[in-house]
Amino acid sequence: MIIGTRKPLEEIQEMVKKYDRILLAGCDTCVAECASGGRREVAELAAALKMAFRLAGAEKDIQEASVDRQCVHEFLLDLVEAGQDRDAILSLACGAGVQALAHHLPETPVFPALDTQFIGETAGRGLWLENCRGCGNCMLGLTGGICPISRCAKSLLNGPCGGARAGLCEINLAREIVPEVPCAWLQIYDRLSALGELDRLLELSPPKDWSHGDAAGPRRVVRPDQQA
Amino acid sequence: MSQKVTVVVMACQQAVPDPALFLGPLEKAGLRARVVLEPCSSKVEVFQMLRTLAGEADLLWVVGCPEQVCLLVEGSFRMTKRVAHAQDYLREIGLEPERLGMVQLPAGNQEILAATLSDIQDRAQALGVNPARAGAPLAKEQP
Repeated sequence: MIIGTRKPLEEIQEMVKKYDRILLAGCDTCVAECASGGRREVAELAAALKMAFRLAGAEKDIQEASVDRQCVHEFLLDLVEAGQDRDAILSLACGAGVQALAHHLPETPVFPALDTQFIGETAGRGLWLENCRGCGNCMLGLTGGICPISRCAKSLLNGPCGGARAGLCEINLAREIVPEVPCAWLQIYDRLSALGELDRLLELSPPKDWSHGDAAGPRRVVRPDQQA
Repeated sequence: MSQKVTVVVMACQQAVPDPALFLGPLEKAGLRARVVLEPCSSKVEVFQMLRTLAGEADLLWVVGCPEQVCLLVEGSFRMTKRVAHAQDYLREIGLEPERLGMVQLPAGNQEILAATLSDIQDRAQALGVNPARAGAPLAKEQP
């Protein structure tokens, strides 16, 4: 899922300060799961903004709304309707949701309340880990289901660098990271060893074709069988 | 205080079986008070705390049981985390985080109850009306 984090309140306030009627638009899927943009967080931010603006001497008309998926046209329509009489919209979706909303409301300013971070996994309560870069050419089948592109700090394709210490990636030496970042290639080795498939490591991966990733401009997937 | 201070208490009903435990003394002290009984203090969400402070309260107190006797096992633990998160939000807003208080109150413990009531009255006296709540006079608009 997409992981996002709320922007600092001051930054959000600055973006919308010149508007009086504001819609806060949440998304109840990915960013709700990571507790940054679902209907609860919409309610938190609405109350926080009302208070912050009052302290600055302004009374704002702030409405709240949320849909299951802000990045899907059919779900988005409720927000488009709710946004019709608003001066501005503050979206708590990921960047895809913000843009979908902006596309459907060409005459209304739409602002992001979140910083979209990465595609990740809920690894524990309050802990989300990046484990997919969307490289467009998945190699998890070769690496025991552990992605070296996202989980190795250097995105190495054929084994570890020389920096790992005690099973940990050397980036832990540069700054304190809690929990510590393990060496992805050690994890791959351990996993393949447990599966009895260490021979996979004898296959060298060729240089990656990054043209499947974000190096060749905006990507698109077209499925004629799904189209109207 | 020129305006009556409003205190909202959101309390676990195991810790506070009778709202009068708070209502009586707080009203007697000249405060306007409302007690919301909860099945557990962990049921109080961050957005409810912020909404309450934005809508009606000058002070908000969340009352739970001590962590080791919480009926929902980790309810009081979660309440502590949520109150801390809401206080962080208040700092960002520019409002005193002391307007949001919490206590772990063993049911029937008169000593901690009295100390809590005294703490609430002291903070009401020190902080006064919440300038960020609805109905409070607006600060002079900034450019």
